[in-house]
Amino acid sequence: MELADLPEVSGVERAVIDQLFGAAYEELKRLAASVRRGDPSATLTPTALVNEAWLKLSATPALAQLPPLHFRRIAARAMRQVLIEAARRRLADKRGAGASLVTFDESLDQGATTPESLLQLHDALEALAAANPRQAMLVECRFFGGLETAEIAELLGVSEATVLRDWRAARAWLSHELRG
Amino acid sequence: MNRARWDLLQALFEAALVLPEGERAAFVAREAGDDASLQVSVLGMLQADGRDDPLLDRSIPAAAAATVGRIDGRVLGRQLFGPYRLLRVLGEGGMGVVYLADRADLGSQAAIKILPDAWLSPVRRERFVAEQRTLAQLNDPGIARLYDADTLPDGTPWFAMEYVDGVPLTAWCRERRATIRQRLELFRMVCEAVQHAHSHAVIHRDIKPSNILVRGDGVVKLLDFGIAKQLESVDLPADQTRTGLRVLTPAYAAPEQLRGDPVGVHSDVYSLGVVLYELVTGRLPYRAADRTPEEMAALVAAAPPQRPSVAAKEESLRAGEVWTAPGSAAWADLDVLCLTAMHLDAARRYRTVEVLLREVDRYLNGEPLEARPDTVRYRMVKFAGRHRRAVIAAGIAASLLVGLVVFYTVRITRARNAALAEAARTGRIQRFMLNLFQGGENAVAPADSLRVVSLLAGGEREAATLDREPAVQAELYQTLGTVYQRLGKLDRADTLLQRALTQRQGLLPPGDPEIAASLIALGQLRIDQARFEEADTLVRRGRALTQAVLPADHPTAVEAAVTLGQVLEKRGEYAAAIALLDSVVQRDTAGRTTGPELGAHLRELADAHFYAGNYPLADSLHRRVLTMYRARYGERHPEVATELASVGEIEIMLGRYPDAEQSYREALDITRGWYGENHPETAANLTRLGRALTYEREIPEATSALEQALAIQERVFGPVHPQVAEALNELGNLDFDQDRYDLAAMRFRRALDIYRQIFGERHQFVAVAMSNLASVLVQQKDYRTAEDLYRRSIGIYEATLAPDHVNTGIGHIKLGRTLLRQRRYGEAVVESRAGYDILIRQTDPATSFIRAARRDLAAGFDSLRQPELSARFHAELADSLVQPAVAR
Repeated sequence: MELADLPEVSGVERAVIDQLFGAAYEELKRLAASVRRGDPSATLTPTALVNEAWLKLSATPALAQLPPLHFRRIAARAMRQVLIEAARRRLADKRGAGASLVTFDESLDQGATTPESLLQLHDALEALAAANPRQAMLVECRFFGGLETAEIAELLGVSEATVLRDWRAARAWLSHELRG
Repeated sequence: MNRARWDLLQALFEAALVLPEGERAAFVAREAGDDASLQVSVLGMLQADGRDDPLLDRSIPAAAAATVGRIDGRVLGRQLFGPYRLLRVLGEGGMGVVYLADRADLGSQAAIKILPDAWLSPVRRERFVAEQRTLAQLNDPGIARLYDADTLPDGTPWFAMEYVDGVPLTAWCRERRATIRQRLELFRMVCEAVQHAHSHAVIHRDIKPSNILVRGDGVVKLLDFGIAKQLESVDLPADQTRTGLRVLTPAYAAPEQLRGDPVGVHSDVYSLGVVLYELVTGRLPYRAADRTPEEMAALVAAAPPQRPSVAAKEESLRAGEVWTAPGSAAWADLDVLCLTAMHLDAARRYRTVEVLLREVDRYLNGEPLEARPDTVRYRMVKFAGRHRRAVIAAGIAASLLVGLVVFYTVRITRARNAALAEAARTGRIQRFMLNLFQGGENAVAPADSLRVVSLLAGGEREAATLDREPAVQAELYQTLGTVYQRLGKLDRADTLLQRALTQRQGLLPPGDPEIAASLIALGQLRIDQARFEEADTLVRRGRALTQAVLPADHPTAVEAAVTLGQVLEKRGEYAAAIALLDSVVQRDTAGRTTGPELGAHLRELADAHFYAGNYPLADSLHRRVLTMYRARYGERHPEVATELASVGEIEIMLGRYPDAEQSYREALDITRGWYGENHPETAANLTRLGRALTYEREIPEATSALEQALAIQERVFGPVHPQVAEALNELGNLDFDQDRYDLAAMRFRRALDIYRQIFGERHQFVAVAMSNLASVLVQQKDYRTAEDLYRRSIGIYEATLAPDHVNTGIGHIKLGRTLLRQRRYGEAVVESRAGYDILIRQTDPATSFIRAARRDLAAGFDSLRQPELSARFHAELADSLVQPAVAR
């Protein structure tokens, strides 16, 4: 699991991640349901669920020292993992024709957002991380975690202007990669 | 791509961005030189920068919709779920998607619930399976039944349950314009279904009209146990089931649920209250639209809801309807029903759904309601709150305790066939309850402020209804009786234990071990009541029964032996007590009994040795228990305090006062932390500390400790109790040391009276009190009366204690001094010498009494003109003053 790579998350908190994982899933399911209902206001807010998971997890001694913003960064990573895992499953189900029992319904496809494009984004983000981990983290926090510019600036210890500049470059590069 | 390459890309991209659009391509071409791929990348980035990206700009919701929580439309119409074929989606809940399915072979319908994305986390799978298990357990006409369950080849779990073709409760009432009475009748059906779940220890946690369907035939069904919870699974902080908290419905959730606190029966009572409110008024008690749980919790906490009578009136005016209003008295009752069920303080709600149900029935029958908010549960919760630390230390959340006890009584009431499972459960809860109160010998708190007694009264009422289950009833009486005893409510305990015994004697064959258990329990109560002769008879009868039918190592047989040992010790038959308890401990050790039982038995044996005056043996036994308990319970447990106090007691007897003071301070610190200031255990340790300080001449500190102790004890125990006498005795000693003789005499007389009333004339405590009173009389120069008291006390010591007991020695020395004061030198030296000889054989010869004896003997022999003997004691006296012997 990629979370283990983050310095703040050691093996001790592993059990705790499963819970975060569950919270991330519930939040994604809620968002998915709003989109399917055609609710245009569906947005990833600093979610009640992730907040609640944070409140609970912050009581565990190992995580008590972890600042809330770092926690939200980990939550963003959990969101990313859930989505990528879900996308992989959808794809596997589609390819393994016979086994496709409970799977993605193509007739309800949401525009250009497909499991494939999510997996491409994931790969491109990995490539970006190899060149500039901070910028990859920025994208992860913003796209998967819904963090605001100011929050990301505080988290990464840079100015908001830098965050905006780095986002613009990273977004442009990723978008280009996804097309190509 | 490496770092340098990326930096170059970003630098070119940003440099190009500041140029007019028309110049960018040329700039990039110039800067990239012959690096074609660099040129392509930067130009691509510039293009991408200027256009919308379908993925990156849409962010998460669309991505989620594409990947998460979907079921393939192709599952419809195919027979993949056992004999069932899915027809259409019925709904999507927090924990799965529900489909309507049919079964061709039977021509019947079912609802199938599927868990999408089951791969995601074990927690979700567990919860899904938990719902399935819950439904399998419940078998009630008001709850949709489980039919079948399995897993698809890809691992997706599903289960089939009864399909309810019905309309949500509130909609049904609205559509049919149901009368208040009809609404209440539907509501009581809901209560019955919830009550059924509770009797299986299942809390629904999501009761709301959309989960309550009314079928065409008027039958009500409770649905969706998706977030239901087994009462016995404790809500520990690490509990992960609340991951899906969002699935609760803020409008109907209890305040504790909204806050994320542990839930119980009381939470479902609250939700039922909201449903009832909505049923009778036509609107929700709080406007909940789009509120988060936090906002809702704040709203509910801020003010009670509008009274249903007022809300209903407003609502019908607004809707232009005219209800067949049930009249103002009936509305007052509806107000009480709703608002009691919905009380912000869980402890003030109906304590069970059963109670709510009875109230609804009273309403429907036109009888007056019984409910007053200050119920048993309220008191119970208060109790649990006051003793929070004890409860938590027991590893159990206070709410679970309440839930369990309530559940227990409910369950008992419902126990129509007392099966084996019931017996196991009864035993478990009995142990649980007793453990709760364990720690203090006599009481958990002052008896008059002890609200928990009200809970027990509730238990008694429940027990009284168990006429058709006399065995269970007797068991409950026995349990309640023992609990009352632990609480120091001895009269109540007496009634209940007697009742249990009588019932068992009428119910069971004469030799039954349960009768023995009842006899022994009653015997234990008699010990607490200081009615030792009766205790003796009862325990011997019980023991005879166990010896006839049970093996010697059976718990009841062991209990009989230990209890008899206690009786013997209390009656002053120390040798017999020691022999009996020794055999119990030996059997424990041989049979490898360890833990609390062995500790308790060793302690009894140590006490018997202590009272018999075998201090070194008592000391080593108590220290053994102390080590065991520290390892078992940690440093700060009441059991550890009890042992520390016992060790201190021995140190006092051996004259090691600073050690005793240290032991008592540790014990006091533990009991204060555990029970609080106003508790008999705290008082007992204050008394002990006061005694040690008195011996050490720390008078002001000693006085303060003892007066605090006496005040607590008189409040807790009433005027005639050994512990009150003990406190009086210590204070008397202190007054005596301060030359306040009248006060001292008064205190000693009171102590003597108390001891006589409790123990009769021939008991060493009576002798101690006599001896102390005599010491005051000596100071007041009433030598004759003093002499008489000393002689009587020595007689009692000799009859009840081991030969050469310290107390006997002290008695002789005091008598000697009295005679010396009367110038009866010949008699005086005989007594002083007898006392001196006894004390000098004890472990530590440095006590003040030995010095007193030496002084008196020296003076006596002087007066008798026996210079050699006189010189010997003068010399010993001088030695002991020069180098205070400390024989440790």
